[in-house]
Amino acid sequence: MKALFQFLVLVALFFSTWFLLSKIPFVEKLEVSKTSKNLEAQLGDIIYQSISKTEKEETDSLVLTKLNDIKFLLCSKNNIEDTAIKIHLIKSAEINAFALPGGHLVINTALVKDCDSPEELCGVMGHEIAHMQHNHVMKKLLKEVGLAMLTSVASGSGGGEALKQVVKTLSSSAYDRKLESDADKTSVQYMLKADINPQPFADFLFRLSESIDAKNIPQQLYWISDHPESAARAKVLTDYIATQKVVKRNIMDNEDWENMKATVGGM
Amino acid sequence: MTLLEKFGYQPGEHECEQASNAYVMSLVALMAGMPLPIVNLIASFIFYLGNRKGTYYVRWYSAQALVIQATLFFMNSYGMYWSLSIVFGGVHVTNQYIAYMLTILSINLVEFISVIYTAIRLRNGGYVHWWFYSAFTDIICKP
Repeated sequence: MKALFQFLVLVALFFSTWFLLSKIPFVEKLEVSKTSKNLEAQLGDIIYQSISKTEKEETDSLVLTKLNDIKFLLCSKNNIEDTAIKIHLIKSAEINAFALPGGHLVINTALVKDCDSPEELCGVMGHEIAHMQHNHVMKKLLKEVGLAMLTSVASGSGGGEALKQVVKTLSSSAYDRKLESDADKTSVQYMLKADINPQPFADFLFRLSESIDAKNIPQQLYWISDHPESAARAKVLTDYIATQKVVKRNIMDNEDWENMKATVGGM
Repeated sequence: MTLLEKFGYQPGEHECEQASNAYVMSLVALMAGMPLPIVNLIASFIFYLGNRKGTYYVRWYSAQALVIQATLFFMNSYGMYWSLSIVFGGVHVTNQYIAYMLTILSINLVEFISVIYTAIRLRNGGYVHWWFYSAFTDIICKP
């Protein structure tokens, strides 16, 4: 009886302390969300600066305008702040695109060249934007690199090796399957809301899987080799799209698309 | 927190050392297994098992140390689970979370100081009975 009474007093003491402390507006006072956003933005800037030191950025205004048009179309129809996403087109023979913290979306010219239609490119961009919107980028970094190393990179005390590891984690390794599938589906939803036909994106994934099956994967196909099980993912997407009402808006003139591909293809 | 009272008989030097070690063990385990709350509990449990055939005095204090660690284990585990959900699960930091972490931090701090005090008192042949924990230990540990 004595033990029970003392136990109840302890429990009451614990919960009342917790309750009273929770009335203090720590989150507002410590500006928790601002601090985490600052860390993310700082990290993104540092990582992109590191990439831009070794890679050349494409500055052709036609190509950049068209990429930004696609981004605007996806963002405006999905309540995403389009100015928060900064597109960087890198001159590279590696077929790759990846999201960095702080809203940096890196697309390699080889990826644009490899896409058969602007809708395919739009699907890949939507996929990377989905990773950003669902906070997959920071989750992946925290999981694989750790908070201590990220903080040291953001504060500039981490050294070159730490930064290299962060860049490698983001540019050449996949998210786990659940996050990839989540990003695929979200990308399709973005496209549907923007009246863009998402089927070419599923076809793109299927085409990638065929290249893998044929063991015809060029070493540079990073987006493919880092996004495994493309056939299964393509099937899931195709089945999902079949249940949706698809409006096929023309997102780019054929001539503009060919010009864009010719511009990036000449590099 | 503590209540000084006679145990019924005067324990010997070796018993005092053994009883004190039950608390020293949980301190060492706390430092070694800082991020994993279960380490302290396992350490105290192993110590309790090792002394379950010891004298009533040693058994009683080992059991009290085990009960203390078990309580902390549940509180700290929930704190760890909540923190991991924030880091990996996309859960947001809330006032409730910060309040919970401050509460368990305070409890851990009080426990840490009390354990050091208990270990020293026991080593010198003293009697330290924790509020609630001693009453509960009386139920589970009979002479």
